[in-house]
Amino acid sequence: MQKVAYYKGCLASLSAKELDTSTKALAPRVGLELEELESVTCCGAGDIHEAEPDYYLHLNARILAYAEATGADTLMTVCNVCTLNLRQANFQLQNDDALRARVNRNLETVGVPAYDGGVEVKHLLWLIAEGDGYERLKETAHRGLKGLRVAPFYGCQILRPSKLLGFEDPDRPWSLEAIIEACGGEAIDYPAKIKCCGFPIIQAREETALGELIQPIEQAMEAGADVMVTPCPLCHLSLDAWQSKLRDTTGKDFAMPILHLSQLIGVAAGIEESELKFKRHVVSVRPVLEKLDVI
Amino acid sequence: MSSMQHLAPRPGSETMDVKLKIWRYDSQTGERALKEYEVEAPDWVTLLDVLDLIKDRVDGTLSYRKSCRMMICGSCGMRMDGGAVLACKTRMYDIVRAGHVPVISAMGNLPIVKDLVVDMDPFWDKIRAMKPWLQPGYHEVPEQEFRFSQEQMNPIHKEALCIMCGCCVSECNSMESDPDFLGPAALAKGFRFVGDPRDQADIERLNEYNGEHGIWDCTRCYFCNERCPKGVDPRDSIAKLGAESMKRGVDHDLGAKHAKWFVRSAMTTGWLRETELVPKTQGVVSAIKQAKFALGLARHGKVPIPVPPHVAENVSEARALRGVIADQGFDGAAGIVQGERALARIERTDAGGAKRDIAEITPGKEPAPAGH
Amino acid sequence: MEAKHDVLVVGAGCAGMRAAIEAHDAGADVALISKIHPVRSHSGAAEGGINAALGNASEDDPEKHAFDTVKGSDFLGDQNAIQILCDEAPEDVYQLERWGAVFSRTEDGRIAQRPFGAAGEPRTAYAADITGHVLVHVLYEQMMRRELQTYEEFFAWKLVVNDDRCQGVIAWDLLNGGLKSIGAKTVILATGGAGRLYTGTTNAYACTGDGMAMALRVGVPLEDMEMMQFHPTTLAPTGVLITEGCRGEGAYLLNSEGDRFLERYAPNTMELASRDVISRAEQTEIDEGRGVDGNVLLDLRHLGADKIIDRLHGTRELSMVFAGVDPIHEPIPVRPGAHYHMGGVDTDVWGQTSLTGLYAAGECACISVHGANRLGGNALMETITFGKRAGAHAAEWALSHTTVEVPRSQETDAERQLGRLLDRTEGERPWTIRDELASTMHENFGVFRRDDQMRRQGEIIAGLRQRYERVVVEDKGELFNTDLTQALELGFLLELAACMIPAGIERRESRGAHARPEDYPSRDDASFLRHTLVSWRDGQPELSWEPVTMTNWQPQERKY
Repeated sequence: MQKVAYYKGCLASLSAKELDTSTKALAPRVGLELEELESVTCCGAGDIHEAEPDYYLHLNARILAYAEATGADTLMTVCNVCTLNLRQANFQLQNDDALRARVNRNLETVGVPAYDGGVEVKHLLWLIAEGDGYERLKETAHRGLKGLRVAPFYGCQILRPSKLLGFEDPDRPWSLEAIIEACGGEAIDYPAKIKCCGFPIIQAREETALGELIQPIEQAMEAGADVMVTPCPLCHLSLDAWQSKLRDTTGKDFAMPILHLSQLIGVAAGIEESELKFKRHVVSVRPVLEKLDVI
Repeated sequence: MSSMQHLAPRPGSETMDVKLKIWRYDSQTGERALKEYEVEAPDWVTLLDVLDLIKDRVDGTLSYRKSCRMMICGSCGMRMDGGAVLACKTRMYDIVRAGHVPVISAMGNLPIVKDLVVDMDPFWDKIRAMKPWLQPGYHEVPEQEFRFSQEQMNPIHKEALCIMCGCCVSECNSMESDPDFLGPAALAKGFRFVGDPRDQADIERLNEYNGEHGIWDCTRCYFCNERCPKGVDPRDSIAKLGAESMKRGVDHDLGAKHAKWFVRSAMTTGWLRETELVPKTQGVVSAIKQAKFALGLARHGKVPIPVPPHVAENVSEARALRGVIADQGFDGAAGIVQGERALARIERTDAGGAKRDIAEITPGKEPAPAGH
Repeated sequence: MEAKHDVLVVGAGCAGMRAAIEAHDAGADVALISKIHPVRSHSGAAEGGINAALGNASEDDPEKHAFDTVKGSDFLGDQNAIQILCDEAPEDVYQLERWGAVFSRTEDGRIAQRPFGAAGEPRTAYAADITGHVLVHVLYEQMMRRELQTYEEFFAWKLVVNDDRCQGVIAWDLLNGGLKSIGAKTVILATGGAGRLYTGTTNAYACTGDGMAMALRVGVPLEDMEMMQFHPTTLAPTGVLITEGCRGEGAYLLNSEGDRFLERYAPNTMELASRDVISRAEQTEIDEGRGVDGNVLLDLRHLGADKIIDRLHGTRELSMVFAGVDPIHEPIPVRPGAHYHMGGVDTDVWGQTSLTGLYAAGECACISVHGANRLGGNALMETITFGKRAGAHAAEWALSHTTVEVPRSQETDAERQLGRLLDRTEGERPWTIRDELASTMHENFGVFRRDDQMRRQGEIIAGLRQRYERVVVEDKGELFNTDLTQALELGFLLELAACMIPAGIERRESRGAHARPEDYPSRDDASFLRHTLVSWRDGQPELSWEPVTMTNWQPQERKY
């Protein structure tokens, strides 16, 4: 078992509770021992980075400091946006002593332990795809996916900017596909799998956002996908919850079920519905579950 | 690829067979065809060198732009396998060695004139829309320069690197959806002035850049940072414009309100209070219009009930932190600029291909200092 | 005739844009014509800096700048022109800064200045190692502010001479196809250099000497064409520039034995000797077997990562991409490469040529401020100061004259000539001739010159020119036909190369960039303290001589 500090972020805390419960259920089966961080806040989601960037840096430093205090060398995220925000702050703190010293003085002023730069931020996807987790998948995912046609959707901030993320080639990523195949599914390829879901501007610029959102859903559909899977709860929210708006604007009913990564592996691993919580999805997952003979 | 590529192989004397597929296009006839080419080339060639060999030896009708061939003129932006690159910066050795036959095409988000040549007019129109010149204007002959320290000038040092190649625009996801989006190149140019202590039109600029197709149209896909061959990181420029807008009170846009609400949430409950995001961002009237949609989400627990609020542990620390840093001088764009020093030090020197061991040659006895 | 203007500037690099801005501000109707977009111009590739006696890093004054420039020119520079350059330079640099140029700064907030080769003071104002880039962009910003009209991607091919005046340009419209003629009361050539005469050159593909050749063809003489500067630090194999700013910041040049070999060539100034001296030293080391695969080594490691990243970021990027070397950890292999043409269109200190209404500025002109060897940092300064002066004078002339006429016969002649080229379907493609020209020029007219080699090169050029008469353009289309424009560029290059040969042969001495160690190893002021002038007569170059203008400084021995 690899002990990791677990930062679940806003969505898994609230509107995407199913991501949190499925992640916790899955973790031990892929060799991860989670130590959940409690005294942490939102990473800022790019919004605080844009509104008050110095505050963004301090909020993320605080998260990193509490992660370091657990004694783990890895901080695990389950969201693209958290991953980029934390890695960016971490990189700046690790590579600029003067900056880290100022931030640490401020942290200590409010009673937060100083951050020594000893934590690496990694997404659940990477921990499974690169480590022992992947080796265990074939055993863990014993129920398999029965050749389910799964369209991987990476989204943006787990791939780009690659100088801060760097896990895989941002134009030719492989990790989701590898996991899908290892679980017994068939990975569908389509160009928009690395593009934006539109979520960051879905409130301020809905029309522009929907113009982005439709691309992956439409392409996955045309490529014959039964379901899409994403490592990001914001992409999930966009793809799942806002899909109905595409119906309103285009007249097309896509009815494309969207799974969190932990749910996809979870269902292949036979994890109970009580942990996977498919009922919390807006687009029904039922056709997928029927195909898999889960219900 | 990002600005600092892996180290390229050193020039040698070997040759290799290079294959390319090129999307040919003629806007007069509308003819389009994917053609495959093969040429023998020295092992040090770039994509641009290969295009030159094809044009010379195989097909003189191939059109593309080029000039400096040293990553500074910005002429040779084009797509390789769907991603924008500077042809002169793209070494072919590893690609050929991997047996890959890349597909070359014109940049995206701009009309194609012929083959790899795009019409850059829409690009330049957006640059001009930024009023990209130092204000106020100046005519009198000066007796000396403006006096500003390097530190005061540093905020724009990345934007000053921009070569206007268009690679960032090529895959801009927002621009695909909203062609009027000012886009990463123009907005980076905008910050080059907003961040310049000599410029006196900040508020006017920020108001303009906060318009309908301005900074809040950016969807943070980070394709611009990924594609930029010069390390400008246009997405970061847009964030700097956002931060400066907020600092100066230019916060009327829905995007600005959205961003402010994140700050508020982090301070009060620690986690984003999504329930309130729609009214806080779009106002109450819009929120009611969205009510049917919101109800649909609520049925699936996507809109958590606000009472009792979900509050993170020790959130008072996060609140206090904001007070502590308030007067430290890193508000606005400076909060992003402070991190750039570390980012500039991302080193990528791991690639091989070394053929000589010149690192071993070190200076001998040091001669007397130079003349002055 | 498509349109007419008071002032038409051909070329939109630093000199062209600066000229256009000045002419516009003087009240003239100005347009630019450029075969590439203005910000693509090769001025943008200038890295190290721009020289002006600002005195920000030490006590300095224009007199010192002028003396360094005169000495650097090996006394071939015209001292009146040099004096103007050095006197006006500080104000011109302040103006660029006020327009928004992002210069690097001193501690007290002034424009930073670094030491450069053969300069007595740290005089080179700079913007990290992208000075030219910064200047090109600030000038383009000022163009946008003035809404100056630019005929972008128009390939200027012929000057229109009517009534013994230059009255416009005939150009090929690259984006849409077709010949277009644009009338103008005055035409300013600002088309840059002709580095593409050589295989290993720092110059862009666009640097094909178009303006020099166009002027030559209408009877305007070219001055000092034998003076091609070889820059000491260019990357193999194609000659990408590594800035002199590296040495300004303290980099060493080493041979294969690890020696700072300049100790034996320029013991006082070492790596900061003038470019001709260092290029010859490098070539000697390489020729005598102390090179590393045909290069010497430029060592930056002792400068430290911080200085390299902050001030030489572009250099690091170029080294990593083109040489596979990270200068933080390894020395950069470098060698001399063709860099700058001191020679060009013969002009006075206002950029006027012998043809009324025709001006030239920047690298395509020879005023002459660089003489036999240009100092690093003086080229950008020349583009600004003399671009400005040409713009001012051209506007003044234009505003006091009225008529513009492009005779229809000249348009039809041009169309017929182009038609003959495009109609040819059988023959040699131009690239073979282009490659042969560049490789033989490198071999026979390089850092060191020999009488027999120069003569042989003259014969080679004659042969290539005959072959060029029968070249075939494969692309017959209208859209972005660079196959056509590259063929026309080769025509320019061949004639310029032909001009360099008699000037090189007849200058029987060694001066600046013209080094003849075997037959004439020393400078001969008694016979050759004078400029070469080459004119085009009946399709052949014709050589004459012109005195050097001397004011304050008499020739002396030149040592570094």
